[in-house]
This record gives sequence, C-alpha cells and structure tokens, in this order.
Amino acid sequence: MQPEISCERVRKIYGQGASAFEAVHAATFSVEKGEFVSLLGPSGCGKSTLLMIIAGLESITDGRVLAGGTPVDEPRAEIGIVFQDATLLPWKTALQNIMFPIEMMHRSRAAHLDRATELLRLVGLHEAANRRPGQLSGGMKQRVSLCRALIADPAILLMDEPFSALDAITRDDMNIVLLALWERYRKTVLFVTHSIREAALLSDRILIMGGSPSTIIADIKVPFARPRHFTIGETAQFNELCTALRDEITKARTAQMHRDTEHG
Amino acid sequence: MADDSPNSLSSSYSPPLAQGRRAGVRGPGPRSALTSLFSSQVPAFVLPIATAFLFLLAWQGISVLGNISPTILPPPTMVLEQLTENFHLIMKHTYPTTVETMAAFGISIPLGIVLAGLLVYSTAAQQALYPNIIFFQLIPKIALAPLFIVWLGTGPSSRITFSVFICFFPILIATAAGLRAVETNMLRLCRSLRMSEWQVLIRIRFPTSPPYIFSGMKVSVTLAIIGIVVGEFIASQEGLGYLIQFASSRQQTDLALACIAVLCVVGLALYGLVVAAEKVVTALYDFR
Repeated sequence: MQPEISCERVRKIYGQGASAFEAVHAATFSVEKGEFVSLLGPSGCGKSTLLMIIAGLESITDGRVLAGGTPVDEPRAEIGIVFQDATLLPWKTALQNIMFPIEMMHRSRAAHLDRATELLRLVGLHEAANRRPGQLSGGMKQRVSLCRALIADPAILLMDEPFSALDAITRDDMNIVLLALWERYRKTVLFVTHSIREAALLSDRILIMGGSPSTIIADIKVPFARPRHFTIGETAQFNELCTALRDEITKARTAQMHRDTEHG
Repeated sequence: MADDSPNSLSSSYSPPLAQGRRAGVRGPGPRSALTSLFSSQVPAFVLPIATAFLFLLAWQGISVLGNISPTILPPPTMVLEQLTENFHLIMKHTYPTTVETMAAFGISIPLGIVLAGLLVYSTAAQQALYPNIIFFQLIPKIALAPLFIVWLGTGPSSRITFSVFICFFPILIATAAGLRAVETNMLRLCRSLRMSEWQVLIRIRFPTSPPYIFSGMKVSVTLAIIGIVVGEFIASQEGLGYLIQFASSRQQTDLALACIAVLCVVGLALYGLVVAAEKVVTALYDFR
C-alpha cells in the first residue's frame, strides 16, 4: 500500500544569492495511512515550513511531495489544517466557524450538521456551540479549530504547533482531547511540535528535525499500545523515550548553533 | 469543562504572593491623596468638565477685570447672550452647515470603503493608485478650496465636493489598512479552503475591518465640517462659516464665538453618531 504522505528530498530555500537561506534540506520521509507522526525539533528548524509545503501553501524549491499518491502543488480539500492560533472568525459562532469550510466548499450543510454536533460533543463543547470566539477561552477556541479541520472529513490532518500558545494545564487537556479524536477518526496526522512529551504521548512515530542545514535527522518509533491513556507519561519507559529524544535534539541544536554563527 | 471557562482561566485564583504584590501596587500606600481623590471616588467625566469650567471662569475674569475690549475678547457671558438673542439666526445658518456636512460625510464613507476594497483586491489598481493617493495626502488640500468654487459655482455642490475631497482620504487609508490586517494564518486557511480573492475580500477582509473603518471615520467627520466651513468662508450666503465671516467683518466677535460654540456642538454630535454606530457594529460583530 502506498503511503498517505510521501516527501522525497524536499528542499526549501528562501531568498536568493548571498542572502539565500536553506530552511529545509533534502527531507525524505513518509507517513502511512492512519498513522500519527510528529515532526519534533527546536524553533527555527524548518518544521513548520515543511508542513506548509505539504499543505500546498508554500512553494517547494526542489524535491517532491505526494499526498494520496499525487503531487501536491496547491492546497487540497482533503487536507485539514490546524494552526498555532485558532484563526476563528470572531463574528461567527463556534458552530458557524466549524461549518465555514463546508460553506466555502459548497457542500451540503444539512449533511454535515450532524458531524459538527458530534465533533463538538467529542471535544466537550456541545454546550458552547452558539458562543462566539470572544466568549471562549484559548483552549476552547483551539478545540473549535480542531473540529473545523475535521468537519470536511479530510484524509490528512496537518497540525502546526497547535497547542504551543496554550498554558501547560490546558495543553494537557488538549492532548487528551486529541488522543480521543484520533481514536475515533484514525486520520493520518502530521503534528509539528517542540514539546518532547507531547510528541511521545501522541505519536506512532517521531521525526526529529535539525542539523545544518536542517533536515530529518532521526525517525523514532513510539512503542506504546493504543488506545493510550494520559497516565503513560508517568511510566519509566516513557521517560526513557523522552530522554533519548532529548539527546537527539541536543545534537541537532548544537549543529544549528554552528549554522547560526556561520550566517551571522 | 469548568476549569476551561474564560472566567476561571483569567482571574478566579491567584497565589498569595501575587495578591500581596498586587495590593502593594494598587493599595492606598504609595499614592498621594490627590490622585486617590480623583481616580477612585469621582466619576471620570467630572474632572474634564471642572477643568473646562475653570477655564471659562478664568476667561470671564480676564476679559472683565482686565478691561479688555469685547471686540478682542468678549467674556463667555456675552457670547451666551448672543447665543440666546440671535438663536433663530444662528439656527437658520446651522441647518445648511449640518446638512452639507452630513452629505459630504455620507458620500465619503462608501467612496472611501469601495476604493479601499478596489485597492486591496486589484494589484494593478493598487500599483496605479496608491502612490498617487499618498502624494495627494501630502497636498495642503485646503489650498484647493477656491478652485472648487471656480469649477462648481457657489452652491452647496461645490462645498460638498470639496469637503468629500478632503475627508474621504482617512476612511480610504484606514479601510485599506483594515482590509490588509488579516493574519497570515487566516489567509492560509482561506487558501487551504480554495477561496477566491473575491471571497476572501467579502467574507474575511471586510468583516474584519470595521474597527479600522470607524477610526478613519472619526478623523474624517471632523474634516467634513472643516471642508464645509472653509467653503462657506470663501463664497456663500448661508451657513455658520458665512455667519462667522460676516460677524468678524463687523467686529461682532461675540456673535462669531457663539457660532463657533454651535459648530463645536454640531461636531460633537456628529462624532457621537460615529461612536454610537461603532458601538452597535462592535456589539453585532463581537470584536474584542
């Protein structure tokens, strides 16, 4: 079976000539259908850039990205995206925000209303359906944004540091919500994060990005069975994994510091 | 659910240390008696009104006790007298000024908003027009007022056109800024939903821009009055600008000041209308 997402020597260079900066260098990896994969790395390692290329929102300098077996050269309806900020429309209610993609894709509203209600229930917001973003907390807004990304039943869900703007307690809540959503829908997920524990808790596989120039430097399988419970974070095996991941990132960061000094 | 609500997130619990620190900042200790008197017990509007009243009182005192000629500086009571004695005359001239100002402002709003939409939607329009608009901003537009009389005569149409000419720029500039203020990730979302530029303009950019449009309108409404009054100064047989000109030429400073006082009221009322409209729209759209 072909992978759901496949990146072949993806390269991204910003700028030209002397000021050119290579954000991603020859990144090669694939994500199987129904797999939850995290892109883990320090800030500025190009992981968000890579995600935006896969989303068709950023041009590619060299290499190839396939989604569902066909090259991605523009945004697609079957790819759902969650950004770091919730990007909700403040004049629409939570439910209207969730239904916005359906409206824009000219799909049947009636056919998706049940799904919207189900999603709201799954993230624990069924009572807030008619509230506007101004009346929602940061965590609640990001839950709405999650529902919006899933409303059109995308084959792939791309998440760009979706919880990094939230406080630690809300972030833990969001991880639990995301685990439940993944159990329910089994989407192919590519999840960008700089939190080691978050990556270890949620993923089937973790790709570590870093180096100079930045690329995929490690591909680590997460051995924990599913469905997962939040309490696996307290096991020794979990902490060993986190330590191993941290070592890899430290190596990457050292390499990046060298690159930064070279570039001034 | 409960620990995720906006209220409990923001303020229901704070550790004792933080509370202590906060008390130190906000408590009565380091503040002077004067600051606490005015900031906590007295409503916010009292202080500015008291200051204005003191100013008028000082004015009255200087013009009466200083034995200054009423032609130079009539005391406020004399201005008030003019206002009551010539109330009908002043009101007769207030009417055209107000109506023309509202007409000019009313034309400027859609004109500024539509042009801003065009500028943001079309790259060609932006490249062709925007540098010229900035250039036009630099012209002292008041200097062009006499030409509008030459072009359009001495009737209301020349004054309204001139007023539109000077007051639609702030709306245009502010709206264009508002239309461009959409966040990068929101635009990415739109692109991922394969929305057209037109859809983004209508569905995202315009609904995002009211706070910007209203800030432009607040600047613009003042300029609208200036445009009309300047037009009346130059060539008109009616309006407060005309009456001020007329009173000044006859050295009736008290009447001129009475007209200016009424102009202030008109300006304040129109500004108040904009603020009220902003409140309504903000409540409807839930901007925070």
